[in-house]
Amino acid sequence: MSNRLRGWHLMFASVITRLCVLIIIILLASWSIYLNYKVGYNNARLVELADGKLVATFYRMSDWFFSCFGDPVAAMQSNGGMTWSIRLFGVQITDPIAATSVFLNNGQLAFGFFIGALIPLSLALLFGRVFCSYICPASLLFFTIGRLRRLLGRFFYFPELPMNRFFAWGVLCGGVVLALVTTHGIWALILPYFAVGQTIFHAITFGVMHVAVFSILFFIVVDFALGYQFTCRHICPTGRLLGVIGAKPLVSIRRDASACIDDCHSCEQVCTFMVSPKKDETRDCSLCGECMSVCPASCLSVGTKKAIDVSSSGIVVNTDVASEV
Amino acid sequence: MKLSRRNMIVGFIAGAVLPALIPLLAKIPGAGRLKRFLRPPGAKSEKEFKSLCIGCAQCANVCPNNCIEMQGFEDGADNFLLPMIIARSKACILCMACTQVCPTDALTPMPATKEGMRAVAMGKAVLSPDLCYSYHGRTCGACYRSCPLPGEAMTIGLFEKPTIHEDKCVGCGLCEQSCIHMPQAIRIIPAHEIESKELRHGKA
Repeated sequence: MSNRLRGWHLMFASVITRLCVLIIIILLASWSIYLNYKVGYNNARLVELADGKLVATFYRMSDWFFSCFGDPVAAMQSNGGMTWSIRLFGVQITDPIAATSVFLNNGQLAFGFFIGALIPLSLALLFGRVFCSYICPASLLFFTIGRLRRLLGRFFYFPELPMNRFFAWGVLCGGVVLALVTTHGIWALILPYFAVGQTIFHAITFGVMHVAVFSILFFIVVDFALGYQFTCRHICPTGRLLGVIGAKPLVSIRRDASACIDDCHSCEQVCTFMVSPKKDETRDCSLCGECMSVCPASCLSVGTKKAIDVSSSGIVVNTDVASEV
Repeated sequence: MKLSRRNMIVGFIAGAVLPALIPLLAKIPGAGRLKRFLRPPGAKSEKEFKSLCIGCAQCANVCPNNCIEMQGFEDGADNFLLPMIIARSKACILCMACTQVCPTDALTPMPATKEGMRAVAMGKAVLSPDLCYSYHGRTCGACYRSCPLPGEAMTIGLFEKPTIHEDKCVGCGLCEQSCIHMPQAIRIIPAHEIESKELRHGKA
């Protein structure tokens, strides 16, 4: 299988996994409604009498689906939450930002909560910023906007604002200070994926529009007006944090310098995270595989960095030329 | 883009200022500030609860009675996305499911037994005999029948006149929800209100 095809597979997989995360969030929220009906009525006919045919159909379908997980209240206790803090089959997964925020405010961390933060951190150490292109449901939105920008870019002009990484660090510090002054819930307006989670949860469980919708709208406008995946690159503090933690991951994109074409810059041009595989950058790479899919020489692959160092040890001259260009 | 020191500092400050604009949303005129809401069972003191709760809504997700709501900006930025219970619209049934799922232990885990119920401190019920039907010769007793700790937190006398025992009342709000008088003759004073009052009067 060629590396280009592998790149397409990775891109396909990243979209699928993010869609799955989105579906899981929606399922968890609708599970809550099902729980209310199960405890309150426990009978499709009664639900139909109370709230109509549509809700009764929903109840029947959820009864069929959720009864696979056993007793509804017990099952809800091991599954719940959103990308900010989620329990799946009893395993607690915590956002590193949530852990930081609570730790700075309270000075101590609940054990399970702390352990939950190690999962995304170790993921970042192993694979880099994979959270951004494989888990984050908001980045699916920004990914779509990036495609739209590229498509419409043939007819319209979309600006690309130059920005440095310290803006996101500023957002992180400002957010932590704000969380100390107000509540940790304020992150729902700063972190895109938490905003998406809260919006979906409130829309489904309570049937109301959450304030986070405005923050999502703001991110959408910013993404259209200021740059490719601008929110992911320059606003989202989690992305910045994971980008730095996973700056030199165990598994990352690697380049076979002997096969690389000197004058070709297609991988740099296509990367929406503005990473340059050509210069062997790994920071902020989220393994989305887009550069692999466009590389004409098929010289990019995913793997451990060391393996490529051994294979390309004799071609030092080539990389020097590439970095001068 | 060149990373000069000036650019770094300007970028950092601009980023730090951006979130500071969010509390302005709470200044938008709208519904007044709500004071009489309950925290879910097992909540620690208000200050500690606020420092621990991350607004993940898992308690609201698991609540089988759907009585836990998440607060919005109308209650001020310092209450944003914290769980609350409005006893009059839907009170807590003390099933303790929410205390089991809280990831940060903002809600102390409690067993769903009578002992667990007795340990809850969400508030204290206060009766206004002026409004109560039973105190006006019309026997009612709805509050007593809804009380999860009948005979302890609430006892009932002649013509079903309720008496609340403040030291035993856990403040679940079921009596307030069930009161058939409009407005309700029995109300829960939330624990955080009692707490702040005690602080003001120097009792605690």
